[in-house]
Order: sequence, then C-alpha cells, then structure tokens
Amino acid sequence: MMILDSIDELLEHIKEVQQDVMELSNESLMKMSSFMEKNSLEIDEDISTALQYQDIITQQLTATNEAIDSMKKSIDIFSHAYKSDEGLANESLAKLKEKLNVTLQDAKDKKSRFSGKFATEHADDEIEFF
Amino acid sequence: MPLVIFVDDSETALASTRMVTNSMPIEVKQYTEAQVALAEIKAGMVPDLIITDLNMPVMNGFEFLKELRGVPATKRTPTLMLTTETKPELKQQGKALGLTGWIVKPFNPAQLKQAITRVLRLPA
Repeated sequence: MMILDSIDELLEHIKEVQQDVMELSNESLMKMSSFMEKNSLEIDEDISTALQYQDIITQQLTATNEAIDSMKKSIDIFSHAYKSDEGLANESLAKLKEKLNVTLQDAKDKKSRFSGKFATEHADDEIEFF
Repeated sequence: MPLVIFVDDSETALASTRMVTNSMPIEVKQYTEAQVALAEIKAGMVPDLIITDLNMPVMNGFEFLKELRGVPATKRTPTLMLTTETKPELKQQGKALGLTGWIVKPFNPAQLKQAITRVLRLPA
C-alpha cells in the first residue's frame, strides 16, 4: 500500500528532525552553562529552570520518537500481511488500528509524566521527604 | 568534605546541579550512567548522599537504588530522586525502596541547596 509507505517515510523524517532538535538544544544549553561556569556566574532560579527545560524537551521528544518507532513497526507488520494475503487485510487493519491507539495513549501518558512541575497546576517548590 | 554523587543522563541537568553545588562545602562527582556510578561504589567509593534521576537508559533510578541497597557501603546512604515524574504511585515505590526524598524538575536552586544541607546536616 503506497499510502502506508508515504506515512512511513513521513514518520522517519519527523523522527530525524526531532533527533536534530534534541542535539541542537543540548549543544546550545551546554555552551551557555559552560560559559557561566568558566566565568563563575551565579545561577538564579530563572536560569536554572531554563537549563532544565532542555532535559524536559529531550524526554518529551524521546518519548515521541519511541511512539514513532512503535507505529512504524505496526505499519510494517500490516504491510507484510497485506502483501502476502489480501484476505487478511481487514483483520490486520483492525489490529493495526488497535496497536496505533495503544501507542498514542502511551505517548500521551508519557507527555504528562515527563512534564515535571508543568504537569501539575499548583506545583510548588517543596521537596518531599519520606 | 562529604561526597555527593549525582546521576543523570542529561548533561544540562548535571550542569544545573553543578552550578548550585559549587559554592557548597561538599565534594561532587557526576555520572551520566547509573551503572558506571554503581561500579565505582562497588570498587570502594563511599558517597554520603546520592541524587539520581529516574528515567535513564540501561539502568533507571529504581534499578540503581535496588542495587545500592544490596551494597553494604550504601545500604543506608541517603538517596534523593530528582525527576520529571510526579505520579504518587512512583513516589510510593521509591519510598518502599528506601528513598529519602523526591524532588520534581525543574528544581529550585535554593531548595536543592537546602535539601543537601539538611540531609548532610551541614551548617546552614
């Protein structure tokens, strides 16, 4: 199915772009922190938060890339089933839909989990001791 | 000086903590891989405080914590989780594994300093 091949290529492209964004944002913030350390500049809350955004960005994009890998794998399985026996296509399509829904739900869950304080409306700075 | 080790696969997260701790009377070692820190602990390094991320490739924070509790030198070493995770069930899991506390990213530099001071009983 040509449409699935196109979707597969598009997903691969998105994955590569996200990988580049992660590497660039990491390089950018490492240069900034290296400059601050070399010049013994003191970190305040705003700068500390800005540096830590990079970690959250990376975790979010890594989770999305994992979802893309999972989707590509499901599409690949469906494509092979379709090519080998068209009679299996309808059954495979239902399975594909189910797998993509699971992948999407997992990705949405990770978006919330990896957002740190931004995921909670009334987050404060209190450290929880057990 | 007390030895504090930080474990986080994010280099920028480690840089942020470094800039907070560099004015404190502590020795700091940082690792991007928990298994490397664990190997050094097993080889004789004795940290006074361990601060670790949860979501890391190869060995995550909980796996690291379980391993630490199996090493006599770090069986009771105070350990803080520094993570983006906010789920209460994960905090409970950490507590059951003997975690000392839970810090959600992005952390407040002053609060992190206070937490280290409190756990190590450093002069305020």
